[in-house]
Amino acid sequence: MSERSRGSIWFERLAAGGTRVAGLPPSVQVADGALEGVPVRWIAVVPDPNGRFERARNGEMGIDEGFGVAQAVAGTPRDRAVVAIVDVPGQAFGIREEAIGLQRALAAPTYAYARVRRDGAPVAALVVGKAISGAFLAHGLQAGWIGALNDGGIEVHVMSEPAVARVTRMDRGDLARVALEVPATARDIATFSTFGAIDRLFDVVDPCDPTESEFARVSEALAAALRDPRLARRNPRDRLDTPAAVRTRALSRRVREALEAQWDD
Amino acid sequence: MNVLLADSFAERGARERAQGLLDPQTYRELLGPFERVSSPYLAAQSVVPQSDDGVVVARGTLGGVRACVIATDGRFLGGSIGEIGGAKIAGALELSRRDAERGAPTRTVLALDTGGIRLQEANLGILAVSEISDAIVALRELVPVVALIAGRVGVYGGLSLSTALCSQIIVSEGARIGLNGPDVVETESGIEELDSSDRPLIWRVMGGRRRYDQGFATDFVDDDVGAIREAVLHAFERPRELGPLVAPPFPNPRLERNEFLRAMGIEP
Repeated sequence: MSERSRGSIWFERLAAGGTRVAGLPPSVQVADGALEGVPVRWIAVVPDPNGRFERARNGEMGIDEGFGVAQAVAGTPRDRAVVAIVDVPGQAFGIREEAIGLQRALAAPTYAYARVRRDGAPVAALVVGKAISGAFLAHGLQAGWIGALNDGGIEVHVMSEPAVARVTRMDRGDLARVALEVPATARDIATFSTFGAIDRLFDVVDPCDPTESEFARVSEALAAALRDPRLARRNPRDRLDTPAAVRTRALSRRVREALEAQWDD
Repeated sequence: MNVLLADSFAERGARERAQGLLDPQTYRELLGPFERVSSPYLAAQSVVPQSDDGVVVARGTLGGVRACVIATDGRFLGGSIGEIGGAKIAGALELSRRDAERGAPTRTVLALDTGGIRLQEANLGILAVSEISDAIVALRELVPVVALIAGRVGVYGGLSLSTALCSQIIVSEGARIGLNGPDVVETESGIEELDSSDRPLIWRVMGGRRRYDQGFATDFVDDDVGAIREAVLHAFERPRELGPLVAPPFPNPRLERNEFLRAMGIEP
């Protein structure tokens, strides 16, 4: 492969010295290591140009990746934290995948992450590259703490930009104008972090080659998050109580309050 | 009305579907259309909002037991999930979990008909779906969570993951379950991957019958309100075991497309 993916680069750095977990497809990289004394299972999805599914060779979440990540998460030894390293350009778009049941392949890691978190394991995610749609839902968004690189190459969305342009019949300029008015449609991490789901943003000059001090800042913050006893009890819904979400997701909160008020006769 | 015709569930709107599922005269809608909670994001994108945002949350009883039916409206923007609709679904699931914790369980039904996350509210939709999925995992620890996929659209996108997390899944022949809709697969991978106008093939790949035969649903129903209501009651009274979320056996994916499909038992 000509160029290593961001997910692969950060996995190698963070999991350096750890023990590789075998029995998984090459696109699912898993290692048990330690971060400042905290035992961690590191999980990354990376491109595999020789993957057996041709629609999932560029780091997409497909059948092997979904079930593979689920297996790795569910098999995490007790007293070990789980960290998802996120660089996923989307889910696989293939008829083979749909025939097998891609919705189940991506539900499997969603379930596994939620399950181990609810069973008390600290679960965190670090977004270092793309975080698109079903792939992000399955690998990252069930974490109790999410950090991300503050970098222009990060993209968070439900669809690739060309696909959005085709579906909405808008060009890039139109989409950029809409994103200013409706921040939920923006793709950049700075805007996404205004919704309260990103706990920490890290400045890096070159996300493919972080300096020692940049890397140390990420490691320290991640270790601190994993050590925080509150993390194991932090579920996705709790993101609504962050100061950012109180401002930007006021409707999500109001709807819940109204439902609660009307729930019983 | 011709009494020989079935009372089609798929032909009904979300509200009438929820009414058809709950015990007669017990329907009570929460945050209904007269409260006019509609999406503030659509006008800027030249889309007319709807006063319930395409999601109906109704309380009532089901077989005499307290219940909540959450129904999405496939006719409004393809049943897509935005901030408000997503919050309605997640919020109702969270309250059901609270009821179960208090020992007064609410029978919770997700009657989904949705193409996925609403493009016009993209990342707010993603966050809502992550909360819905977690709420389902939390709720099914305590009580059955029943997904009913029996609408014109079926279930695609983020909520197809959430559906797969439910403990019981009821499907009809007309419904479809997949992560990517046929048009999305065609757009992203080409018409030779999937021709989205080939409806018979689409149903052979992801139709309700197929998904039931694969063991991905606990029940298969006719498109009839009475039959579907019976199936929903059964799902709570005699829950069936849905297989674990592990890889099913499948042919070598390196096989040529049509060979692969035939090996899956699907005529290409």
